[in-house]
Amino acid sequence: MMETKQFVMIGIVIAIVIGVVAVFLASSDPDGLESTALVVQGEKSLTGITPPDAELVEDVHGGFAYDSPMPDYSVEDLGVAGQIIAILVGIGISFIIVLGVARVAARQKECAGK
Amino acid sequence: MHIPDGFIPITQSAVYWVIALLFIALSLRWARRELSEEKVPIVAVLAAAIFAMQAFNLPVGMGTSGHLVGGALAAIVLGSPFAAVFILTIVLIIQGVIFGDGGITTMGANIINMGVIGGFVGFYGYVGIKSIIKTPFVSAGIAAWFACFIPALAASVELWIAGTFPLVPGLIAMGTYHAAIGVIEAFITAVAVYLIWHARPDLDWSEKKTLEPGKVAAA
Repeated sequence: MMETKQFVMIGIVIAIVIGVVAVFLASSDPDGLESTALVVQGEKSLTGITPPDAELVEDVHGGFAYDSPMPDYSVEDLGVAGQIIAILVGIGISFIIVLGVARVAARQKECAGK
Repeated sequence: MHIPDGFIPITQSAVYWVIALLFIALSLRWARRELSEEKVPIVAVLAAAIFAMQAFNLPVGMGTSGHLVGGALAAIVLGSPFAAVFILTIVLIIQGVIFGDGGITTMGANIINMGVIGGFVGFYGYVGIKSIIKTPFVSAGIAAWFACFIPALAASVELWIAGTFPLVPGLIAMGTYHAAIGVIEAFITAVAVYLIWHARPDLDWSEKKTLEPGKVAAA
């Protein structure tokens, strides 16, 4: 059986490789939900390609708007390097926050004496 | 299938948030009862890998792309639908807050679709299919396909209630695209479950006698 430390190291390396490769190879076509929105907004046919000038209206109901620090997994003015930074930040933060929350939860059980 | 802010009115979004919070509370209870210190880093690395794979959009034809969601993967590997709620909630918060992928107000709906529905369909789909066909990795793949397809239909119903999609065209388009994207979900989930359980046979709960979702009552 693989040691936990080794399992985690291999897992992180796989995540980083997938993330970095994604920056170069990921499809820029709209995802299923965006494609559906384009279809119902009359910008795209169901099974046809997405026209390059298709415009997705996201602000259907208005109201709340939020500006994220790294929109679309990128860093302003940094191009491909910014995309790699964004992916690595995301992988790192996902690992650390889940590790933190899960560790606190696991310790609460042990404190309660099972 | 990350719903952006403008797609659901605020009041409806609030309702989804309330439902999502209930399941988040239950997932935290799962974490307290089921997570040992030994398992904690494994859950964390699974979350990191799911984040990375969600960034990898693969073309599925029809001018559309899709990526692994990971609800079925988390639920099957860790033996509970609440594992999916736990991991997907944190991943969706990070995606929404830092990267603007999926809305803030609509995050509750996204947690319900991908974490709750994806996790429950993935977990119980796996248990049910495996009881019939016996092969764990094929069962994981089929369950994962449904765990992509059914949340997509749920999203299209939510967006119909929101007045954003018409009902039938929305269901047809969401269903068509996610039937294709589900093949990605199925393949990656089957391979990942195989690799993870071969590296760590101790995690393979499904070969043991109990099929309870993480023995919640026994803890």
